[in-house]
Amino acid sequence: MRVVVAEDLFLLRDGLTRLLTAHDFEIAAAVDNAPALLCALLEQRPDVAVVDVRLPPAFADDGLQAALTARREVPGLPVLLLSQYVEQLYARELLADQAGAVGYLLKDRVFNDDQFVDAIRTVAGGGTVMDSEVVTKLLGRRSRDEPVSRLSVREREVLALMAEGRSNVAIAQRLFISEKAVSKHTTSIFTKLGLAASEDDNRRVLAVLAYLNS
Amino acid sequence: MMLWRMLARLLRNLGWGILLVPVAAMSVALYGLTVWTAGAVVLAATVALWRPLVAARVLPPTMVWAGIAGLVAAARTPGSPVNWVIKAVQVPMKVAYLPVMPRQMPLKALILSKAAVSPAGPPPGPRGVTYILQTPGRIQIYFSPKAMAGAIGQAARPPGEVAQRVFVKGAVVVPGPRQVLAKIHASYVGVKGGPPPGPGAFRGAAVKFSAGPPWTIHGAPVAGFWHGRLLVPVALLLLTLGLWLTPRSLAGLRGRAAALAPDVRRWMLENRWGVLLVPVALLGLSIFGVHPWTVAAVLAALVVLVRWPKVAADLVPITLAVFAVRGFQLASDWQSMAPAFQGPPGPGVQYAAVLVNGPGPALLAGAEASVFLAFGAWLVPRTIGAHARTVFTPGTDVELAGRVQRLTESRSHAVDAATSELRRIERDLHDGAQARLVALGMNLRAVERVLPANARAAKALVAEARETSVRALNELRDLIRGICPPVLADRGLGHAVRALALDTPLPTELDIDLPGRLSAPVESACYFAIAEALANAVKHSGARRVQIRVKHAANTLRIEVADDGVGGADPARGTGLQGVERRLGPFDGILAVSSPPGGPTMIVMEVPCVLSSPKTSSY
Repeated sequence: MRVVVAEDLFLLRDGLTRLLTAHDFEIAAAVDNAPALLCALLEQRPDVAVVDVRLPPAFADDGLQAALTARREVPGLPVLLLSQYVEQLYARELLADQAGAVGYLLKDRVFNDDQFVDAIRTVAGGGTVMDSEVVTKLLGRRSRDEPVSRLSVREREVLALMAEGRSNVAIAQRLFISEKAVSKHTTSIFTKLGLAASEDDNRRVLAVLAYLNS
Repeated sequence: MMLWRMLARLLRNLGWGILLVPVAAMSVALYGLTVWTAGAVVLAATVALWRPLVAARVLPPTMVWAGIAGLVAAARTPGSPVNWVIKAVQVPMKVAYLPVMPRQMPLKALILSKAAVSPAGPPPGPRGVTYILQTPGRIQIYFSPKAMAGAIGQAARPPGEVAQRVFVKGAVVVPGPRQVLAKIHASYVGVKGGPPPGPGAFRGAAVKFSAGPPWTIHGAPVAGFWHGRLLVPVALLLLTLGLWLTPRSLAGLRGRAAALAPDVRRWMLENRWGVLLVPVALLGLSIFGVHPWTVAAVLAALVVLVRWPKVAADLVPITLAVFAVRGFQLASDWQSMAPAFQGPPGPGVQYAAVLVNGPGPALLAGAEASVFLAFGAWLVPRTIGAHARTVFTPGTDVELAGRVQRLTESRSHAVDAATSELRRIERDLHDGAQARLVALGMNLRAVERVLPANARAAKALVAEARETSVRALNELRDLIRGICPPVLADRGLGHAVRALALDTPLPTELDIDLPGRLSAPVESACYFAIAEALANAVKHSGARRVQIRVKHAANTLRIEVADDGVGGADPARGTGLQGVERRLGPFDGILAVSSPPGGPTMIVMEVPCVLSSPKTSSY
């Protein structure tokens, strides 16, 4: 799987490259600024890109802007954004095109390389991965709303994990329950929130996120 | 010794300016101790003590002035060389007697100076005579002290009394540019029962004329220490020194004037009434004649204008009023004499544009005086009135003082806030990330030790180290968010407020019109102000929805945070809103809170600021 890495700090770029190489990714390009990233994305057309939000030249949200620009050119280009902080505003912009194949994670998540690599693969496969912090904030904001407050504690846990982009299998493992129980919860959640149920994991995540973001 | 040293230091601090006091004291020696001379000494001392630099600058011209005054005084002091020279060139005095007044003549008559009068026996005089003598030269009037005592104010003669002799009782000398106007009030001393005087038996008061040079000096001779010869060398020394120093003392002023050149126009416009004082003072020369004191008045007008333009403006109407009084006085003098006026007009007295030498011109002088008075009155509300208003009403000065007060407060708040913020950051770093990094290092060292022997324990330690690093990162993240929220740094206030709204658990309606970026400090202050207002709404108001409006127009950023909660927010009680006020203070921002009990609450913040052009993205 071909990856483009964009990170301005050499140590982190090097670390990411090594981590990804160790997990059998092929590094198509490792760049340290936004214009170079845009070039790499549009020319190399990688299977997935791992991008730092804050990049030169402006050291603002240049990485995010470059990724969004590239996705406008190539809809559905898989991009996983990494950042020292997560902002709902940026998550919302990433999710706005409803095309999936996006991820938005705190840089700390790299420490758990298995989960991090899983997230990259999910994004590359067209899935959506949101940092648990984003999801917590989304849920916190909607917690007073009528439909969300009717969810049980367990259902909210499932909803949160679902919103992070995890599959039923992963949710079952995480909560130590059976896969069947997970799908039961899922159905119940969808009914309570008035969403159309979908078997497709990716569509399901997008629906949940769209609901929480609305 | 101590005293001497103190004195020396004082002198050093005061500099040459202190010499102004002895130079001014010379006026006392020359003119005697009067209100004016004493005032001059006090003024000199005040300037020398309070403004030593100004005194040093004023000193040379004052020395020139004192030198001239000394020479002038010497001129009229018998025994001084100058006086001797003047005496030598002066035309010998001619003694002239008042002409014989026929009995039928009115009591007032006008006599021209050149009239030849007979030195023969006393002419028959009228009961009381006012003689106006006009002469191109100097006039000396002699009269007996006895006559003076007897004749003052005697206008009515008891019947039966026979006038025997007429004496001139006094003289008022009004110097003009080239002529002298003397009013002589003459009256008689009657002797009861004496023989009536026949024609030619009466002689007028003895009046002596002398046709001196036009620059003849008026005033009393100087007595005492300055008498005679000492005065002249001192005056010459002062004059020479003053003339030598004056260009040097004015050199600095010239530099300042050059630096001011571009602003002169603006200054002239601002102080147009004060500038008027100089032409008005020059006008005084044409009214009171060219004398040491009128020339001094012109110079003083210049000084006052430069140093205290407002005072100069106030002096203009006052000076005009003085001119008017002089004009009315001249007019009334001539009008009272009009019935007796005969003969050709004399040289007259100049009053501004009119040469007053008869009742007609005197009327014109009165008209001029009226114009001066009217203009002065018109100026009063614009000068004295306006300045009085600034002093007595809460106007711009008071506003300025208030602003200074606010700025002082907000500056100290800003400094306090910055300091405590730095403390907080230091503490957070010290207790948080720094401590965790230490723990991390210790963990890794432990791993080093146990690794070969106990892989399981090492794994646990490594996991712990990773946890620690995650926590350190979390803490750093929170810290950074508190210093500068990432979206604010990335995209500015508009997006940051949107992000803030997303993080707020209340439904938030946004209306943001901000087509550019603000300066970083204003952006930051406004962001935290909005965050505080929003937090208040969430925590205390029990509101169901919040509305935030951000709009930039006319170089002012207006922020409104409104909620439909219970109200009752009071900036005087909560520290939160006070914090907002303090944050906005350094930028001259204001906070207005409308929060009646029962709600709704509306918080309005306004900050004057400019918007930079929107950032253009390269993608």
